[in-house]
Amino acid sequence: MNRGGFWSDVSKYRVLLLMLLPAVLFFLLFAYIPMAGIVLAFKQFNYNGGIFGSPWNGLDNFRFFFESGDAWRVTRNTALYNIAFIIVNNVLQIAAAILLFEAARPFFRKIFQTMLFLPYFISWVVVGAIAYNLFNYDYGMLNSVLGWLGMEPIDVYNTAAYWPLLLVLISAWKALGYGTVMYLAAITGLDREMYEAAEIDGANIFQRIIHITIPNLMPTLIILMLLAIGNIFRGDFGMFYNMVGTNGILFSTTDVIDTYVFRALTANNDIGMSAAAGFYQSILGFVTILVANWAVRRYDKDRALF
Amino acid sequence: MKMKTKKATLLPLAAALSLTAILSACSGGGNAEPSAAPTASPAPSAAAGESSGAVDTSQEVKLKMILVGGKPVDYDKVFGELNAKLKEKINATVDVEFLDWSDWNQKYPLKFAANEDFDLVYTANWAYYNDQALKGGFLELTEDMLKKYAPQTMESMPAVSWDQAKVDGKLYMVPNNNVEVNDKVVLYREDLRKKHNLPEINSLDTYAQYLKAIAANEKGIIPYGAKAGDGWKWHEMDQATLEQHNDWNLVDTTLPLAYKMDDATGQIFNIYDTQEFKDLLVYYKDLADSGVWSKNVVSNKNDVWQDIKAGKVASYAAQNLGTAGANLAEMRRDNPSLEVAIADITPDGKKIAAISTQNGMAVHATSKNPERALMLIDLLQNDKEIHDLTMYGIAGENYVPEGDDKYTAGPAAGNYTGFSNWGWNSPLNRKDASYPKEADDIFNSWQSKIYHFPLETFVFNGEKVKAEVANIGNVMTRYAIPLEYGLIKDIDKGHADLIKQLKAAGIDKVQAEMQAQVDAFLAAQK
Repeated sequence: MNRGGFWSDVSKYRVLLLMLLPAVLFFLLFAYIPMAGIVLAFKQFNYNGGIFGSPWNGLDNFRFFFESGDAWRVTRNTALYNIAFIIVNNVLQIAAAILLFEAARPFFRKIFQTMLFLPYFISWVVVGAIAYNLFNYDYGMLNSVLGWLGMEPIDVYNTAAYWPLLLVLISAWKALGYGTVMYLAAITGLDREMYEAAEIDGANIFQRIIHITIPNLMPTLIILMLLAIGNIFRGDFGMFYNMVGTNGILFSTTDVIDTYVFRALTANNDIGMSAAAGFYQSILGFVTILVANWAVRRYDKDRALF
Repeated sequence: MKMKTKKATLLPLAAALSLTAILSACSGGGNAEPSAAPTASPAPSAAAGESSGAVDTSQEVKLKMILVGGKPVDYDKVFGELNAKLKEKINATVDVEFLDWSDWNQKYPLKFAANEDFDLVYTANWAYYNDQALKGGFLELTEDMLKKYAPQTMESMPAVSWDQAKVDGKLYMVPNNNVEVNDKVVLYREDLRKKHNLPEINSLDTYAQYLKAIAANEKGIIPYGAKAGDGWKWHEMDQATLEQHNDWNLVDTTLPLAYKMDDATGQIFNIYDTQEFKDLLVYYKDLADSGVWSKNVVSNKNDVWQDIKAGKVASYAAQNLGTAGANLAEMRRDNPSLEVAIADITPDGKKIAAISTQNGMAVHATSKNPERALMLIDLLQNDKEIHDLTMYGIAGENYVPEGDDKYTAGPAAGNYTGFSNWGWNSPLNRKDASYPKEADDIFNSWQSKIYHFPLETFVFNGEKVKAEVANIGNVMTRYAIPLEYGLIKDIDKGHADLIKQLKAAGIDKVQAEMQAQVDAFLAAQK
């Protein structure tokens, strides 16, 4: 690369760079610049001082979270739920994508795809209300059906043990369509000649799936996993809050960092303490993604994010 | 910049991914801040008067006023008319800036911090009154000023209202002049009470008897409705069954700390530690086991009042009298086949009046025309014509006056409502003609039992113990609510758990801090 090559590169790739510009601006404006707000985690915020003028208070904002004795429980819940979501959702999405691609004609593929996608657009508030009407002890649909069958009613909203399964299922139902489209796009992009060659060599459909489709989906899977892993310590607030609400009986198995912090801080609106909780999650997420990326790098250098 | 050539397979994916990344970056953060908007209940009207002419108003001034709430649709019409009148009376016009409910609590302090140019501002004990008074945001109002520029207000306002509005002995607002009682009532299906021949509801026991009878005899009706998972950290009956029943006052609804109303020394105690609370748990457990409320009450997502209106729920407790009265009127209008009634289940208790700083108007510390600002407040509160106009809008459009002290909603009622004109509530307020007589009767019977006590205006400042306050709130949601709603099988064990968790969350430290503040508050009053 010669001197001044930068500008010639700029002019050479100007169209591509222009396409990149909105994303760069977006992240600069909404992700990088606001990052300076992290200082709030160590400050006693007041309106007069603002973000930078408020007095420092050391680690005071972190106290509530770590002194509560709940920090470990909610952090563990958050991570376990997200790991379960990542594994279950990706497996189901890949399976659905392969099934749609191999088994359905293009016309039906479109219809199924749309149907699978539908739950993605239903807001969590609505999902929460639907779930309440399904599982309500007194008049929920589940218990009505059980009643007709002469079985004992199930008290879903007072039994913490059901919830991990329930939440994983609901998350899978909601995310299925979105992920399926992503994997379907990847499969559609695969070179058809590989399949034709395999077919001529006598490979049946299962062999083709196991030896061609799945290995070729690995790069997609790895990138999606890496992105998901970075958020492993962020609970999906919309989901947990609307499904569980403030039902204390379920907290032992359903409380995640986000709902815990929300409940603790809505009463006193303390910006510093909220920032501290966010900071904690960011640090954990950052470390996890570094470790995960390092692991991927060791396995296959080309597939790591950086 | 070099681009790595990747397989073509990744291209559609990359497009999809960048979209996801952008979407997910969008979905971060976001804090819902529920803001409580107290409803003003009108009081009967009396005097009207003329403004004093002794002040020099030869110079025309433009006043700027800040109010909380959304700008009403008919603002231009109503305030246009107001300004014509004000020009005549005090040679001034006023322009209002509205801070919308969605973000008023962020904007409000900023108006002071940035020292913007305004003269009058709405304030209240729940809207930064103490905070801004101590920070020097408001002009101190002396008795001389009030006598000179707000003589009518000076005359009609009870002395106790002025006293309640003082912060460290100094006055910074003209509080509203309106008696409200904080006590809560129950609303229930009267037709069902008659049908099952149940005694009149006037105590905890008769209420329990009613609820249990409905549970046993009315299939398909849930006797008691609550929205327990709404962030409120108590059983919804607690204000009646715990506070009013025992004459206690909770210092801050997010903490289980209270004092006895007649205790002059202001001893703070932990409500959960009392025998009264334990007894109440037995009362609640009995109700829960009788099927008085849904087993899923903590997850209830339905609107309780709508369920009552639809005949699915028989009762709620404990609500503001004003809300219950309005609901009663609504039921009579919309669904007269169901008969509801209001009852006070603690009729003998001491009643707490809402303190005057519930609503009020203050003058900005750097106002250039504090005299004219005070004169405006005087007119808003005490001039019948101006009070009617600013409270209810244009007669015949936004409201229809009935006599001197009542009104009914006009065709354009919705176009002039929803903002804090409660700041100048006064005896001139009109009453909604459809407001039920029963509610009025209860209110009147309360008037004589209103009890004033030294700690009435005490507000706890939790800044020093904010970590503990946050954790105690979480413990209350997680351990106290299920326990109170009878969802824990063994109440003794549940109670022991609650106490243990509270200790761990630092209740002792908060209690000590609160006691210190109470002691200082009482000492300052002497």
